[in-house]
Amino acid sequence: MFWPTCRRCAEAAVLVLALASRPGAQGLDSPALLNPSSDTWPTYHGDYSGRRHSRLTQITPANVSQLTLAWAFQTGQSTQIKATPILVNGIVFLSTPDYMWAIDARSARQLWQYKYRDNTGFHIGHRGVAVYKDFVYLTTPDAHLVALDAKNGKVRWDVEIADSKKGYWSTNAPLLVRNHLLVGVAGDFDNLPGMLKSIDPDTGETQWIFYSTPPPGTPGSPSGGATGGQMWMTGTYDPELNLVYVGTGNPTPVLNGDARPGDNPWTCSIVAIHPDTGKLEWGFQATPHDTHDWDAAEVPVLVDAAFDGVPRKMLMQASRNGYFFVLDRANGTSLKTFPFATVNWAKGIDKAGRPIPNPDKEPARDGRLVAPNEGGGTNYRSPSFDPATGLFIVSAQDSYGIYFFKPEHGSYGWAGADYGVSGKGVLRAIEYQTGAVRWRHDLGDGASGAGVLTTASGLVFTGDSSGNVLALRTSDGSTLWHSGIGRVGNSPITYELDGRQYVVVGGGGVLYSFALPETKP
Amino acid sequence: MMRLVIALLFGVSLASQTDPAQTYTPAQIQAGQPIFTSRCGFCHGRDAAGGESGPDLTRSALVIDDVRGDKLIPVIRDGRVDKGMPAFGLPYNDLIAIVAFIHDQQKKSELPGRRRSVDTTDVQTGNAEAGKIYFNGAGGCARCHRPDGDLAGIATKLQGLSLLQRMLDPRGGGRGGERPHPATVTVTLQTGQTTTGRLAYRDEFTIALTEASGWYRSWPINQVTFTVNNPLDAHTEQLAKYTDEDMHDVLAYLQTLR
Repeated sequence: MFWPTCRRCAEAAVLVLALASRPGAQGLDSPALLNPSSDTWPTYHGDYSGRRHSRLTQITPANVSQLTLAWAFQTGQSTQIKATPILVNGIVFLSTPDYMWAIDARSARQLWQYKYRDNTGFHIGHRGVAVYKDFVYLTTPDAHLVALDAKNGKVRWDVEIADSKKGYWSTNAPLLVRNHLLVGVAGDFDNLPGMLKSIDPDTGETQWIFYSTPPPGTPGSPSGGATGGQMWMTGTYDPELNLVYVGTGNPTPVLNGDARPGDNPWTCSIVAIHPDTGKLEWGFQATPHDTHDWDAAEVPVLVDAAFDGVPRKMLMQASRNGYFFVLDRANGTSLKTFPFATVNWAKGIDKAGRPIPNPDKEPARDGRLVAPNEGGGTNYRSPSFDPATGLFIVSAQDSYGIYFFKPEHGSYGWAGADYGVSGKGVLRAIEYQTGAVRWRHDLGDGASGAGVLTTASGLVFTGDSSGNVLALRTSDGSTLWHSGIGRVGNSPITYELDGRQYVVVGGGGVLYSFALPETKP
Repeated sequence: MMRLVIALLFGVSLASQTDPAQTYTPAQIQAGQPIFTSRCGFCHGRDAAGGESGPDLTRSALVIDDVRGDKLIPVIRDGRVDKGMPAFGLPYNDLIAIVAFIHDQQKKSELPGRRRSVDTTDVQTGNAEAGKIYFNGAGGCARCHRPDGDLAGIATKLQGLSLLQRMLDPRGGGRGGERPHPATVTVTLQTGQTTTGRLAYRDEFTIALTEASGWYRSWPINQVTFTVNNPLDAHTEQLAKYTDEDMHDVLAYLQTLR
């Protein structure tokens, strides 16, 4: 957790105290995100750090085997829940493409449901909503941002983030930083500039736009002709440095690298942005000149700890390209780079800590066998950092794919073909200073879609690729509890209400809440 | 429609006909396009020729075998959850519109100038002689396979990308030919009794098999001992050993087995 040392943060702390002393229900003010109370999960990662770690300790390795169903919420849809539920004021806000529900966090009773208008954007999943004051925000498959009254689901305003007719869509869970709502979009099938927008959460007006690749008409393309680099995942934020960290997606055209020579900054990168201006502070490229669809959109996890004996403000990412990066988040310099999943596409690591792509593993007419496959060494599913053990726990995949490109495939959109060959899911607990894997836990055939949650009592919650939600011991990865709820497609959360700790996770189209058995008074 | 009536009258399977009735009205195709785009387009591409993670449907055996949704609708409606394809609980009219759109795209894909095709000749860059040496030597393929046995005539059943995909993972993609039998498992109960069958399911907690009778049986993993025999594991292990040259050489050798 970040301690408020700057003036702005000190003000925020005063506000948090003021909020805490107010009776009754209230909306969420952005300062509350600086130190979220344990009866909330107020933003996608739970807090600004992206560690997805909870200080709650009621559920422990000793009693987790007694975990039982507290409630289940039926969306009534076959659509898999991929969203992180957001909890504020005892109300869970859950989303799937076009839909949002407000649910009583104690009983799963539905308070209201919102349905967006029918549209032709990609309905591939939805990551979650954002809450600010009495507003709750939903991004849509046709790249709009809808602000609803959190109390009743009535639309307050609806703005277009990007033009869906050009091929943009959004699954994004927006990140709130003070009075900035940061909203990302996606768009891999068209050559579109990578765009992150800051929206005024009160009015819906655009405050600034950050482009990871230059907008059309920019003279002297710094990206080497590449478009893409979409910022479709929720970033993280350091209030002391006042920097937002976001992972950027792959360049377009996707598999045709010939059309865009050079490294193609800032695609497949981690970028540090000033939230008040949208200006770039620094960028670090996880994959220079990507030709395999390996977005570096994965969570940039912020950790304050020692590296080589020196206290550091670090940023860690287990990236889709199969490499793990440890950076100094003040300036983006590399502290360590190592593979955490099967890789065969790089010749080595350069002085800046970036893998050096092997040209022989670029997509070719006759096909190249490449690890990882397009799904990557990991993906959008959240990892977790456990401060007590110093372990970074990630749901990885060891996989191969075959990649094709020939000039006839052109230079628009996908511009190539690739096919997955095989993959195995494996949870790895990584020591970030050395790259050593302290333990591994097999998850089955194919990647699991489940993210990871750790708690201060020494537990890991995640899901396997068969349809079990799992509770593991953080120190050694051994299984302590499971339930066959169907494939977990989101990242679990936890909170405490009325003295009872809940773990909430999606299985298929149902949201499940688990807790210890109620004790009779 | 007349063809359908005749087929029904005579109890003839439409799928067995050489020229199945695959015509759809422009209205059906038009209705299917936006539904396909929004529900299927991300994985299978807006033009059904493959997108992120999903296969090219214009080259899918299922699409080619399908007649008015008899194969496709069950898959769309129920999904292939084990392969990562979700179920789409859509009304019948939406499903048939999707089917119409896919078939229309499949027909268009046969026109010249397709964007993302992998032609049979594209993958034929290997050296068959070198492939034969690898097959019999370093690759270890000859431990399980015989060119005059199980692989006899393989190149007449599978070509190009399909053959390559099946060579790398026999359970995987590609059109035509037979999928190999899945793994077997022998389960020993605490009484000492043993049961053997095809491996039906395995996770961290449950082991299950299909008996010769066709019945499914499962046990908690912590109450039995079991041995899985999966000869296909050798294919997975080989992925880390192949160079691209080896891969293409073995493919070239397989292409000589006609």
